[in-house]
Amino acid sequence: MKRTVRQYLLHFFFILLPVMTYGTERAWSSDLHTWTVEEIGVLRSLSIDSLPPLPKDPTNKYADNKKAAILGNIFFTDSRFSGNLKVSCATCHPANRNFADNLPLAHGMGTTNRRTMPLIGVAYNTWFFWDGRKDSAWSQALGPFESPVEHGFTRTRCAQIIIDHYKDDYEALFGPLPVFSKRDLPALAKPAIDEPVSLKAWITMPPDVKDAVNRIYANMGKAIAAFMRTIIPAPSRFDHYVRAIVEKDQKSAIKILSSDEVKGLRLFIGKAQCLNCHTGPLFTNGDFHNISIPQPADLPADQGRADGIAKVLADEFNCLSVYSDAPRSDCGELRFIDTDTDKYAGAFKTPTLRNVAERAPYMHAGQFSTLHEVLEFYKNLPPGQRSPELGHFDLNDREMHQLESFLRTLSGPLIFASD
Amino acid sequence: MKLLFSAFLIVLMPFMVSADTDHSKFTQHYKESLFKITENGHFSVEMVLKEKVLQVGKNAINLILHDNKDRDVVGATLTVIPWMPDMGHGVSEQPVIEEKGGGLYKVKNVVISMSGRWELRITVARDATEDTTVFEFKDIKKGKGHHHAMSAPAAGDIDLSVTRLSHKKLFSVTYESLLDPLRINRIHSWKLTVKTADGQPVTGATVTVDGDMPEHGHGLPTQPEVTQEVGQGVYLVEGLKFSMPGWWVMDFHIQKNDQEDTVTFNIQPK
Ligand code: HEC
Ligand code: HEC
Repeated sequence: MKRTVRQYLLHFFFILLPVMTYGTERAWSSDLHTWTVEEIGVLRSLSIDSLPPLPKDPTNKYADNKKAAILGNIFFTDSRFSGNLKVSCATCHPANRNFADNLPLAHGMGTTNRRTMPLIGVAYNTWFFWDGRKDSAWSQALGPFESPVEHGFTRTRCAQIIIDHYKDDYEALFGPLPVFSKRDLPALAKPAIDEPVSLKAWITMPPDVKDAVNRIYANMGKAIAAFMRTIIPAPSRFDHYVRAIVEKDQKSAIKILSSDEVKGLRLFIGKAQCLNCHTGPLFTNGDFHNISIPQPADLPADQGRADGIAKVLADEFNCLSVYSDAPRSDCGELRFIDTDTDKYAGAFKTPTLRNVAERAPYMHAGQFSTLHEVLEFYKNLPPGQRSPELGHFDLNDREMHQLESFLRTLSGPLIFASD
Repeated sequence: MKLLFSAFLIVLMPFMVSADTDHSKFTQHYKESLFKITENGHFSVEMVLKEKVLQVGKNAINLILHDNKDRDVVGATLTVIPWMPDMGHGVSEQPVIEEKGGGLYKVKNVVISMSGRWELRITVARDATEDTTVFEFKDIKKGKGHHHAMSAPAAGDIDLSVTRLSHKKLFSVTYESLLDPLRINRIHSWKLTVKTADGQPVTGATVTVDGDMPEHGHGLPTQPEVTQEVGQGVYLVEGLKFSMPGWWVMDFHIQKNDQEDTVTFNIQPK
């Protein structure tokens, strides 16, 4: 018998046994607000105080440029960038509602097949959209403009509007705009595989004109990304509670969260195993999981991440593209992307749980309209459909209520990062 | 008669260390394992799982195989079928089997779809020999649920050495993480120094990477690769990322000419 096998198994025991017994022994201590050192470590890891400074975005050299952020904010709300002059990013991402629209499916020029995602701490994302088909905030921002059901617009028309209305602001940031003749910018042109007329108009444009249009379009995305980057969450009641616990200020702690909320927190980080995916200060691991949410019957089947992988690899604006400012060495996420489509079939990005109570409905196609329904779903999932990370079973009604109460403590204002 | 005797053996097994049948000799190597000898006496199968029970849901188990001369069984083809005898059905999900070397096989995705009486039917085939055994579980229940994030094992329980010998002791391998200390959710690189057992650098080897979280049966969120040899026998591994805090196992498969072997590191990113 090889030693490695023996060691391997030893680990198996030493590690799993404490794991198995922990939950039951700790159970309900007499004092609800007394946490072990390990538990305090977990609470801290979820607290907003663990949110690191905004990570650099090497793909966007304007990411931290204040003027770019101001211009980006204007683009974000300008509905001239749409086929019916009525749709802007803010139509679906209104600032006063967590930048989400509270609809099961979003309405722009048409209706999307997925629910609008909140823009909370997007600067911390590795992948964008439910399926991660974009790898930067600026390349993400370019998607909605050309989607027929969102802005229903084209990049050539975006370029035209910038030339007509934003020339000075644009040039101050990005340098001189090229001079186009009217024929250079066919209004319909975009590389849309399922819109032959637009595709033909795009394909037949001279390569240098296409490149010039793409540069304007990419810069527009970079300005919008500089704006979106600044949207970050501010402390919620949960965060204030953790601060009090860390400072050993039990008296204040007791006033911040109710018993039910604290019991719910204990379930969240313990028995209900939510932490397996909803980790860190944004309550997401940023990864994709198939948690067997039923796809609504009137929508097409959705393979989620399994289809997103090829899309981001093929994306003309990804980290390795000529429009990205990142050197190849900064494109690790794309270069080493997990291409296992079986693993990611029907998998969607773990959403943040910050402000979750404020932005029903839930899931990638708005399948559930209340938090209660979400928790019932997790509870009733048949075992064969559970991934090993999903362990939310055996919760009684009282505990379900506590878990829900805890989720409601995660609401707080959204603020704009100041540097 | 032989059958009866095996049945007898199975009942006694937890209490005995070894037993002789004809010329064959089987030893239970792990007190904690469930132990069986296959129907025709060709192999012994030890099953190691949490608290000796399976739970409703997905399970991961470890199987250790020996032949009747007490040698590790390597390169065998295993089939593992979860079966509900009272219902006369199994499950549609296929267990995923991975050979770990030294007679150890890891079986993931063993799906138990409901509580009740279950069997795990295991067939071992090596060269021309094939044999079967059945492990019975009288009453599989729903799991209790466990913490993982707060369960970091006490230091010392787990071998976190940065230098380890490969399974067949062909190579001595050291890793150095360029992200130190190891943290979750950060893509980063390692340097892997590969030497022969007597300390000579191993240059020009083909090194492949795999990693997973044994308690959860899932792998890495990225596909790391060895991208270049940056020094004599020093390989750069790029694209490593760990998505959860806890115990991860990293396997590096090293091939140099006709020599190949795997080294395993335990790590605990926070
Ligand atoms: C018609 C409504 C609609 C409009 C208009 C819209 N979005 Fe969205 N947004 C959505 C939907 C729906 C999703 C999820 C889409 C998906 O996953 O396929 C989304 C996702 C996103 C995300 C991904 C967040 C994450 O965590 O991955 C960002 C960022 C975003 N939108 C920004 C924008 C910007 C910038 C604009 C304007 C250029 C915009 N959106 C216009 C509906 C809209
Ligand atoms: C295996 C990873 C995983 C675990 C464990 C997990 N979740 Fe989720 N959660 C997800 C994913 C993925 C989604 C989105 C799924 C989709 O839309 O298809 C989600 C969605 C949600 C939503 C809806 C949020 C929104 O914006 O739509 C809530 C609320 C939620 N989870 C709460 C929980 C709670 C509470 C637990 C513990 C009982 C838990 N989750 C455990 C991965 C997980």
